[in-house]
Parts: sequence; C-alpha cells; structure tokens
Amino acid sequence: MVCKSLASFLLKTYHGGHIVIRLAMAGHKQPNRPFYRIVAAYNKRARDSKYIEQLGSYDPLPNIYNEKLVSFNSDRIKYWMGCGAHPTKPVAKLLGLAGFFPLHPMTVTEAERRRGLAELAEGAAPEEVDKQQEL
Amino acid sequence: MVSSFDSGLVPELASSISEVIHLFLGSPDAHVKPQFMDAEVQDILTRITGLDLEKVFRPIKQELKPPTYKLMTDAQLKEVTQSAREQAQRLLKMPPVLPERKPINDVLSEDKILEGMDTAKYVFTDITFNIPHRERFIVIREPTGTLRKASWEERQDPHPVFKEENLKVVFVQDHHEDVLDLCQVQFELDSSEYIRVHAATYEDLEKMRKYDLLRSTRPIGGLVWYLKDLCVRPVAPNLFRLLYHPLNLALPAVPLKYPLIYAKRESQRAGYVELALQAYEQTSAESSV
Repeated sequence: MVCKSLASFLLKTYHGGHIVIRLAMAGHKQPNRPFYRIVAAYNKRARDSKYIEQLGSYDPLPNIYNEKLVSFNSDRIKYWMGCGAHPTKPVAKLLGLAGFFPLHPMTVTEAERRRGLAELAEGAAPEEVDKQQEL
Repeated sequence: MVSSFDSGLVPELASSISEVIHLFLGSPDAHVKPQFMDAEVQDILTRITGLDLEKVFRPIKQELKPPTYKLMTDAQLKEVTQSAREQAQRLLKMPPVLPERKPINDVLSEDKILEGMDTAKYVFTDITFNIPHRERFIVIREPTGTLRKASWEERQDPHPVFKEENLKVVFVQDHHEDVLDLCQVQFELDSSEYIRVHAATYEDLEKMRKYDLLRSTRPIGGLVWYLKDLCVRPVAPNLFRLLYHPLNLALPAVPLKYPLIYAKRESQRAGYVELALQAYEQTSAESSV
C-alpha cells in the first residue's frame, strides 16, 4: 500500500503536518447533543473542517437500550494506518475497547479510578445513614 | 366443528400427504429422513400447490392502468397461456425451509480490570463495504468488561406485527399470506423468529382448517412440510379427521394402509385415527350400497 506519490508528497508539504485519525464533531448545531465522526484528516486543519475520509462515527450519549453506538470501517482504518496516520487518544481508546487495537492503558486507569470513587461513595453513604440513625 | 371446505382441495391434499407419509415410513431400512430440498419431496409439494392461474395473477395493489386488449389467433393464445403458466410456476417457487440458525454466544475476551469503567454498553459495528451482513463484526463491550459478539436479536429489531397479540388479530382477519410475505422480507430464512412466525401461522391455519387460503400460493409447500412434522407429534387427528371425513366421498383410491401403518408405528393417538378410518369406511360402504 504505497501512498507516497509525488502528488501526495507535494500535498503533504503544502498542508504541513501528518495525517491523523481523530474525532470530529458532526455539525448538527444542537446544544448539549454531541455526535462525533471518526475521520482521517490532516493534523493542522481545524477539528470540524474538511477531512480526507470519514471512517466511522461515535455517539457518546446512550440510546434507549443503554448502548453507545460506535461504527468504524476497519478496512480503511488499516489502510490509513499503513500510510502512516496517527490515531489520537480517544480514538485509540475506542478502538482498544472494540478489540481492534490492544487495550489502552488509560482505559484501565480510568476504570480503576472510577472503582475507587465508587468505593469511597459507598463508604460515605453507610456512615451518613448511621449518623441519621443516631440522631 | 366441521367447517365447509372446497371438495376439490382435500382429495389432492389427502393423496399427496399420504405420499409424503409413505416417503417417510417407506421401507424399514430407510433411516435417513427426506429433507425439504429432495427432488421427490419438491415434486410432491409442487403438485399440492396446484396451479390456479386465477389466484396467482389476481389483481394486486398496483397503479391503476386501463386494461389492454389484444387480438390474437388461437395458436398465439395457447402460447401466451403457456408462458403465463411458466411465469406462474416461477412465482410459486417455494421459499426454502432451512434448519434454525445457531445462536451466537461467542465471548471474545473477559477483562475484569475494566469492570465499572462505564454505565453503558458500547456497540461496535464494522462498516466495511463488501462483507455480507451475516459475517459482519458487531461486537459489544459490557460495563463488566466482557467483549462478546452481538446475538441475532440484537442485530435487528423485529417488526411489531410479529408479537403474539398482533399475530392473533391478523389471523382473525385472514391475512396469513401477507404475514408470511412480510416475515420473509424482514427476517433471514433461518432465523428463529422466522421459524417461530411460520409455526404460529401454520398452527393457526391447521386449527381453523383454512387450507384454502394458501392453496396455489408460495407458502403451501412449507405448510405441508410443517404438517408432516405435526403428524409425528400427537396433533394429527385433526388432519386425518379432515382427510377422511365422511362427506369427502369423492376421494380417489387413497391407499388406506398408509394411515394404518402410521397409526401403529408413530401416532400416539392411534384410537382417534382408527375411529376416523372406521367412520370413513362405514360411510363409503353406505354410499356404495
């Protein structure tokens, strides 16, 4: 998969920077309702502006079945990774959760942090209940 | 209890069903059950389906066009009827009855370290262009951290028609054919939903004796196949009562020994079957006298 022709080299020097696979907000322009597209774009471009190719989507709000829907075109992602594209951290986390990439270490750390917080909350709640009973 | 039925249907149905049963009982050496796609079975089922041109080409909901009139000789008329018959046969092609597909239960990985990372499940779909829908990777990451493949139900939402209550309403209105068509469009041929809806339709038809609704249409092959399965279960007496009802005197020489063999070997209500046979013999004796 050689994508280093003269044309692409010139384009790269024109645009500057490298190709990234990142999340871009799809311009639905509704407050408090984000929706992301997984996109291959040049690094220096604005987040939501012209991209090279759309590789998938990510809906961060869960639906009626409590599912967060993510789609990705594995064939094309493999192509762009082969051409030297870098995934950003959120994309790497999503693909790690999917099983397409190995698990991202920050996912594990976040899970541990959440569990710690949950235990603290549980520890705090019985204490409050006890205090109210004493009173 | 006895509903009026078309006397033209039942003799053919009876003889064909007894042929099917014969295929099954056959010789004691035949341990392999015939499958739906065998040539003999298909032949019998096509004969049961019949070729009622009026019903196949009945007016379906289409754009209103004024009818066209053509002037043709007798020979041309024969040709046109012949091609109409061929097209009717193609339209009546039976949808195949496949065995139920296996549920998907693969767990790709269990990561206990990820437990509690999020309150919602993540559903990952692979949108590569050229893969058929059955082979697509649709993978779910649960909040407990297990990564599993999505089951058939999760991949597709069922139509509200196919819930039990709605099916009953639809059957009362005699829309069996439409239900079966919808079902074929909506579900894959070997999904459990498809088989369940078909089973429900056939059961209802068999209870209400509305065989005429399906005559000369596509699903009747499947209906007879299902009834053949029923014969092996203890619900067959209805079918036999229908076949050998005393009113049905126009029955051609349906060999009586097959139902007797069936009654002895596989039926669990041999009494019913024998009673029905005796009633038939009595009335046929009376009529001949």
